[in-house]
Amino acid sequence: MNLRKTWIGVIGLGTALVAAACGGSSPQSTNPANETGTLTVWLMNGSAPPSVVDGVNADFKAKYPNVTVNIEIQQWGDIGTKLDTAFAGSTPPDIVELGNTLVAKYAAAGALEDISGKKSTFDNSSTWLQSLTDSCTVNGKLYCVPYLAGSRAIVYRKDFFDAAGVTPPTSMDGLLTVGQKLMQAHSSDPNFSALYFPGKYWYAAMPFVWDFGGDIATQSGGKWQGAINSSSSQQGLTTLANLVKTLSRADKTGDEAKQDAAFAQGHIAMEVVNGWEIGVITDKTSGNPALADKLGAFPIPSHNAGQTAPVFLGGSDFGIAARSAHQNLANAWVQTFTNNKNMSQMATVGGVIPNTTSLLSLGTGLNAVFYSAAKNSKFVPNSQNWANVENANVLPDMLVKIFTGQQAIPDATSAASTRITSILNGGG
Amino acid sequence: MGVAIATPDLEPVSDRAVRRARLLPYALISPSLAVIGGVLAFPLGMLVWLSLQHYGLKELIAHQGSWVGIDNYRAIVADPLFQQVLIRTLLFTFACVTLTVGLSTLIALLLLKVRSAVRVIVMSALVFVWATPVIVAVDVWQWMFDYEFGVINYVLTQLHVGNFIHHNWFDNPGQGWAVFVVIVVWGAIPFVTITLFAGLLQVPGDIIDAAHVDGAGAWYRFWFVTAPMLKPLFLIVTCLSTIWDFGVFNQIYVMLNQRPSSDFYTIAIYSYRESFGVTQYGLGAAIAVVMVLVLVVVTLFYVRETVKVAEVT
Repeated sequence: MNLRKTWIGVIGLGTALVAAACGGSSPQSTNPANETGTLTVWLMNGSAPPSVVDGVNADFKAKYPNVTVNIEIQQWGDIGTKLDTAFAGSTPPDIVELGNTLVAKYAAAGALEDISGKKSTFDNSSTWLQSLTDSCTVNGKLYCVPYLAGSRAIVYRKDFFDAAGVTPPTSMDGLLTVGQKLMQAHSSDPNFSALYFPGKYWYAAMPFVWDFGGDIATQSGGKWQGAINSSSSQQGLTTLANLVKTLSRADKTGDEAKQDAAFAQGHIAMEVVNGWEIGVITDKTSGNPALADKLGAFPIPSHNAGQTAPVFLGGSDFGIAARSAHQNLANAWVQTFTNNKNMSQMATVGGVIPNTTSLLSLGTGLNAVFYSAAKNSKFVPNSQNWANVENANVLPDMLVKIFTGQQAIPDATSAASTRITSILNGGG
Repeated sequence: MGVAIATPDLEPVSDRAVRRARLLPYALISPSLAVIGGVLAFPLGMLVWLSLQHYGLKELIAHQGSWVGIDNYRAIVADPLFQQVLIRTLLFTFACVTLTVGLSTLIALLLLKVRSAVRVIVMSALVFVWATPVIVAVDVWQWMFDYEFGVINYVLTQLHVGNFIHHNWFDNPGQGWAVFVVIVVWGAIPFVTITLFAGLLQVPGDIIDAAHVDGAGAWYRFWFVTAPMLKPLFLIVTCLSTIWDFGVFNQIYVMLNQRPSSDFYTIAIYSYRESFGVTQYGLGAAIAVVMVLVLVVVTLFYVRETVKVAEVT
C-alpha cells in the first residue's frame, strides 16, 4: 500500500484526491431507513439546474433519511485529469457524471462497476436513447446509466433576420447567402458576426464533415483509420472554413466557452448551440433576458437543399465507481435521478433531451428544434482510446490551423488523421 | 631521549578529537540529507522507474505497470514534436533569462541613483508584482490580451500603432511566444532586481570612487568593478531563472484556457499532456526525466562556477 501511495505522489496526484467520507453502511440491512453513510456525487457544471438536483436529493432523503449526499460540481476543462486521479485513489466519488465520449475509456480501465445485471431496476431502461446506451456499453456489458443528451442547432436573432429581410436557410449555400446579407446590413458594426464560430468549436464543425459523407475515423478489422483527411471530410471543412472566414469575427483560436455571453451582447446574428444554452443566453445574470422573445432556432442545414446535416449527439451518463464502498446506495441514487419524474423535470426545467424516447414529446417551442436535430445524429468513434484524442486536442488544433491559415486543409487534416489513427489504435 | 615530552599521552586524545571533528559535519548534515533523500531522491527514483514502464490508465487504476525498458525514451526521441518542443523551450528559456537578468540589472542600478521616495515606490511595485499569485496575474494578463475586449488591442489602436481591433495575439505562434516572454519576465523581474539591488548596496563605495578617480567611465566601472563583485549573485539568479523558466507551465496553460495547441507546448506542458492528456504516464515520466537531465547540466555548470568563485575569494 505504501508503494501505491508513493506512485500517486510521484505523479502529483495526491492533492486532487477526493476523500469520500465512509460511514458505517451495513450491507445486510434491507430497510432503507437503517442505511447510513455518505455518497459523493460528481456532477458536471451546467448539466442539471440546482432545483432539479435538490428535488432528487429530497426524494432520496425521504427514502434514505440517514444517508448524506455530497454533490460536487466539476468543471469540464480539466475533468479528464481529475477523473484519472480520483479513480486511481482508494476512495473515488461513488457516482460520476461522465461525458458520453469518456465512458469507454474508464470502463475499459476497470474504473466503473458493471451494472449489466441491474439494468431493469432503472425506469425506462427499455426505451433509453440508443446512442447513450451504446456509449455505456463496452464489450457487451453495461457500465453506466444514460442521463441526458444534447444536440446542436443554430440559434438566431429573429429581429436581425426581419430587418435584413432574410429567413432561416435550408441549405449550406443558403446559410452563406443569408449570412452575407446580415453582414451587409450590419457593416457599420466592426464587432458583428453573422455566424459566430470560435475556432476550436469542433462539436459544431463535425456536422459539416459528416454532411459531405466524411468522418473522424473508420474501423475495419479491429483497426482504426483516421478519415478526417478523406476528400469528403475536406469538402465539409472547406465549406465551413469559407463560412467562418466570411461570417465570423469570433476568436479563431478560442473555444465556445464564452459564446453565449458574447451572443447576449447583441453583435451576433447566429451561433451553433446546445439546447440548454438558450437558457444561458437569456439568463438574467450571465446573459440578457430581453432576448428571450427575439430568439429562433433552426437545424444546421445540409449541403443538399431541404435536408439537415447530422449533428454530434453529446450527452452524459452516470457511472458508479468500481471502488465505491456504497454501490447499493449509489445505485439507488442514480435510480432516483433517472426515474420518470426527475427525467421529466430535466426536460422541462433543464431544457435537455431526457434519457428516454418515451419523454421526447416534452420538447416544445425552441426545444423541439433541438429534439428533432437529435434524430439525425452521429457519434465519435466508439473506442476506449477516443477520450485521448479529445484530451490531445487533435481536432481543435486542426481547426485552428485551418481557420487561421497556418496550414492548408490537406496538410492540417492529414496531420490530424495520422495522430487520430495512432491514438485510436492505442499509441500516443 | 630523556627530553622526550609526554606527547604519546596526548595522541589518543587528539585522535579522538580529530575523529569527532571529522564526523561532526556528517552528523550535522545528515538530517538535511535524509529530508532531501525523502522528498527529492526517492520521488526522482520512482519517476525514473515509472519512465521505464508502460503505465496507462488501466495500470494506474490497478497500481501495476508493465516493464518496457527504454522504449518510452526511444519513442520520445523519435517524436519530431518532442525535438521541436525541447528546442523551443530552450530558446524560450534563453530569451526569458537574458531579458530578466538584463532588465533587472538596469532597474537595480537605477534604484541606486534615484531619490529614496522613488526607490520606495519602485520597490513596493516590485513587491506587489512578486506577491501576486501566478494564476491571478495570468487571469489579468488574459483579459489585457483578450481578442475581443482586451485593453492592449484598444490602446495600440488608439495610439495609431496599427489596427489592432480583433487582433489575435495567439494566431501567430511568434507573437504568442512574445506575449509569454513578456508575462514570464514581468513575473521574474522583482526577485532578481531586489536580489541584485541588495548586492549592489554591498559594493564598497570607495572602490567605485577610486576607479572614478583613475578615470574609469560609468560603463568601465560597472563592467570591471561592480559586475565582478556581483558575479556570485549573477550566477545564482541566472541559474535559478533558468530552472524556473525552463519549467514554465502555469502562464501558458491558464492563458490558453487549459487547451494550448501544440505550437504552445513547453516541455513541462508536453509532459503533462502525455501523462494526463493521453494517459501515458510512463511516456510522460520519460519526458520529465529528460527535463530533469537538462536542468542537471545547468546546475552542474552553476555549482562548478560557484566553487570557482568561492576558491578565488
